[in-house]
Amino acid sequence: MTEAPAHPTGTAPRLVGTSVPRKEDLALLTGTARFVDDLRLPGMVHARILRSDVAHARVRSIDTSPALEAPGVLDALAGAELVGKVKPWGDLMQDLLVGDHFPFATDKVLYQGQELAAVVAETRYQAWDGCEAVRVDLEELPAIVDPEEALAPDAPLIQEQIVYEFGEGNVFDRYKIRVGDFAAAEAGAAVVVRQRFATNKQAGAALDPHGCVADYDSFTGVLTLYSSTQSIYMVRDVLADVLQIPRTKIRVIVPAVGAGFGSKAQIFGHEVIAALFSMRLGRPVKLTLSRADVFRAGTTRNAQVRYAELAMAADGEIIGYRDYIVHNTGAMSVWGNQVVHIGTNVGMLPYAIPNIHVDSDIVHTTTAPGGPLRGFGIPQTIWAKEQLVDMAARELGLDPLAVRERNVIDPDEFPYRTPMGHVIDSTSIKQCLLASADAIGWDAPRAPHEGKGLAVSMKYTSARHPSLDTDLSAVRLRLETDGTVTVYSSDVSHGQSHATMLAQIVADGIGVGIEKITLAPPDSMTAPFGLGTYASRGAAVLGTACRLATERLRDKILAIAAHVLEVGPEDLDTGRDRVFVKGLPDSGIYLEIIAATAAYRTHQLPPGFEPTLETVATYDTPTEREGSDGSGNLSVTYSGAAHAAHVRVDPDTGRVTVVDYAMVHDTGTVINPLVVEGQHHGGFAMGLGMALSEDYVYDAQGRQLNASFKDYLAVTAPDVPELTKTAEIPAPSTMIPGGQKGAGESGTGPVPAAIGNAVFDATGVRFTVLPITPQRMLVALREKERQGVETLRYPDDMPDFTGPRRHDDWPAPVSADADLDFDFDWEDD
Amino acid sequence: MQKVCLTVNGREVSAEIDERTLLLEFVRDVAGLTGTHNGCLEARCGCCAIEVDGDVVKSCNVLAVQVDGAEVTTIEGLAPQRLAPVDHITTQSLAGMYRPLEAVRGTPEDLHPVQSAFHRCHAVQCGFCTPGMVMVLKDYLEENPEPTRDDVRRAIAGNLCRCTGYQHIVDAAMEAAAEMRGDPVPEGAAHAMTAAVDGG
Ligand code: FES
Ligand code: FES
Repeated sequence: MTEAPAHPTGTAPRLVGTSVPRKEDLALLTGTARFVDDLRLPGMVHARILRSDVAHARVRSIDTSPALEAPGVLDALAGAELVGKVKPWGDLMQDLLVGDHFPFATDKVLYQGQELAAVVAETRYQAWDGCEAVRVDLEELPAIVDPEEALAPDAPLIQEQIVYEFGEGNVFDRYKIRVGDFAAAEAGAAVVVRQRFATNKQAGAALDPHGCVADYDSFTGVLTLYSSTQSIYMVRDVLADVLQIPRTKIRVIVPAVGAGFGSKAQIFGHEVIAALFSMRLGRPVKLTLSRADVFRAGTTRNAQVRYAELAMAADGEIIGYRDYIVHNTGAMSVWGNQVVHIGTNVGMLPYAIPNIHVDSDIVHTTTAPGGPLRGFGIPQTIWAKEQLVDMAARELGLDPLAVRERNVIDPDEFPYRTPMGHVIDSTSIKQCLLASADAIGWDAPRAPHEGKGLAVSMKYTSARHPSLDTDLSAVRLRLETDGTVTVYSSDVSHGQSHATMLAQIVADGIGVGIEKITLAPPDSMTAPFGLGTYASRGAAVLGTACRLATERLRDKILAIAAHVLEVGPEDLDTGRDRVFVKGLPDSGIYLEIIAATAAYRTHQLPPGFEPTLETVATYDTPTEREGSDGSGNLSVTYSGAAHAAHVRVDPDTGRVTVVDYAMVHDTGTVINPLVVEGQHHGGFAMGLGMALSEDYVYDAQGRQLNASFKDYLAVTAPDVPELTKTAEIPAPSTMIPGGQKGAGESGTGPVPAAIGNAVFDATGVRFTVLPITPQRMLVALREKERQGVETLRYPDDMPDFTGPRRHDDWPAPVSADADLDFDFDWEDD
Repeated sequence: MQKVCLTVNGREVSAEIDERTLLLEFVRDVAGLTGTHNGCLEARCGCCAIEVDGDVVKSCNVLAVQVDGAEVTTIEGLAPQRLAPVDHITTQSLAGMYRPLEAVRGTPEDLHPVQSAFHRCHAVQCGFCTPGMVMVLKDYLEENPEPTRDDVRRAIAGNLCRCTGYQHIVDAAMEAAAEMRGDPVPEGAAHAMTAAVDGG
């Protein structure tokens, strides 16, 4: 299709690239949108889960019989009676990893908040009362909150029943990268900076709590599950597996979803429990989690400890990176190990580092399950790596901006393959870097207690997950018989504006008015198979499927019109709801006539034309599987983010205020600029929470002390600076037909590191833990003053810091064979 | 059980309820208006904000029995006529069902100015926080017609939004304030409006 002229002579203006206000909004603004907790089905009853209040315990007994005596209680369940009847799960789709998940704790409790029993009753309050009647006898065991303690040889074993493929003890999986020769880089470097960095356990804390309504039809045997989830087919397929019923007997429908950020990208115990109750009672069962439940049993950002090293040549070139990562996935995790793989692989960007040596032990602790969260491991990697870049630059007396400018990928030719294996199809990261630094006045002198910091990252646009060899979305389109269009997709929109974004693509493609395009709610009975909405895949991957389906639909429409008008399809164009002969935009046939012809007047169709105007298209990205050395191109294209932070630190309160912040992004060809800007703002806010306030706080027994918005310091409006310096320098993807790159998460990656670097600039304190809270800041500033030093690493320079201080003391990966390949040599065995 | 009677969006609603029933639950379950959301039940997220006798409250923090007899306005009460009545559908284009977005301004038969500004400024992503945000801002802007951006940020400090980073919400509040004062809203102010929107 050629570009439409600015002042159309018949064709409507192109919508892709314009800030079309969203089709989703009116229902959300007026209170008519239905979220899962808003559903009320006839005869619906209410379930509640009794969750463990202790983190680690042996289950002596759980007796639900007193609950059955309570008024209104209809049924109760606990783990023992389900053993052997429902299948454990733990893999992404099916049979890939291990079955460490079960609806309830059976022999052991592994984290506070784990399901012990559940009760269903006529009313919510009766279900609460019923839960209180359940008799629980637990023998508490020592908790392990610190992931490094989980590695100790004498650490209590958390998962006792499971044999892991690549780990043992509390090590659930291992990961490594061997690219180039780090030892050689180290020998040839002008400086090697080393630092232990720790990151926090952040909550997605989507405001719409996880929940579902299960509705089993005992006549047809179909279980309909309305769920607040990011992926209908992951839920359907795992649920079918768990219940051992055919996939056609499960229908997953998703109402409006009040965001997820990764925390709803898997099946949860409550979905299985509601399904079981509904099947037992033959009535619809609602189960909505409380806020405390969501904190304790939803998934969190995986906390990491990183022993990171960066080798730099005298001229500022980054020549090597080494890291040993202890990656805390909590007590169990569906996605947790993937986070360190992809977050580290892609986190090496935007530099083409030639020598990379990474080991990771992915461990269990008795804390809330880890999982995906906006950024998927990249903010953690960037937090360490981008601070090391500043540290090395300062040791060499170089400007951190100049060092980054020297190192960011800026090849003469695209596609460009980095030593790590990323295939960069286009990027403007260098221009983004310079523009962001410029926007906050990088060179201007700093006021007292103020500082500036930079960080750059690139973010995958969807990904081929090592445990999931697919990266697939699909769209089906139907031109209805009145000329309107229905779009079917299984990729759930939960804030990403799919209804608008896909409609923009379809409207441009077939010339139908955007107001006539409707996105069907995700429903596994009708939607084509796709993976779901996560990994910033909407615009690029789902969008490409939609573009392909639109092209197919356009071809069919033109074929009918050409037949009716007795011209060739190439002589036709579309616009303003009709097909017309090029140059005669005011004539032509309305789409509704063409659609009606294809359905009701099939004799008038071209010979051999298959009736109805319905097309389907899939898009699976041309990405690679991860190699045994950890390298590989896991993403089809990479968006760029350069952030520049200007902070002020109040020496009396310890509070860090972000006074100015510039974000310059390369999101490729943007479909809806205002929507993409909103994604960047939201991504920033989540990064800000990670940097300054949000974390799970546990006591020594593994109880979360801040499982409420009262104590968990979610970012509020006054915490956020004016984000007026948000800009795009698009380098359209050449892999994605429309040029798009992922938008959803690139705003998060650089934030903690940019703020960390700015805090150092302001105070001389290099924070090595997140978040940088006022309390930590005050302690660090006092210690710096007490020691009379110019710079201080906090907490590593604290007198009571027990971690290693010299490189020789650094821990080695626990796996004895960390340097051996994972490749199995079948012949020799 | 106790009998409670409230006027919700001008309609009388009464029921025998469990004394534990929160005002939020009364609105959602008894009055059947689910636009008021439960995001925490801890009086922290603001998703449940509604107006009770002219003041905005977090309805999860009030028992229904405490406000027996009160007048309540919820998000559903702000724009009772949000869709223009469909007089006639043209078979050829359905154009009558869809008004161009430029027409979506705050007028009594349309949306409240805060709602329409949220739409224009993309202050809604997942939309779960939106009803509470709108109710709080409506109340605040009625009493504070000329706020600064920082004032707006403080006004919504009790409302969480995990999606937007608040920037577009503050943009929308400033536009709504102007519209509520009767100032001309700059045409196409921040954002190009190029298309029509689905009325449903
Ligand atoms: S539900 Fe009332 S403030 Fe969160
Ligand atoms: S729009 Fe999602 S929480 Fe505000």
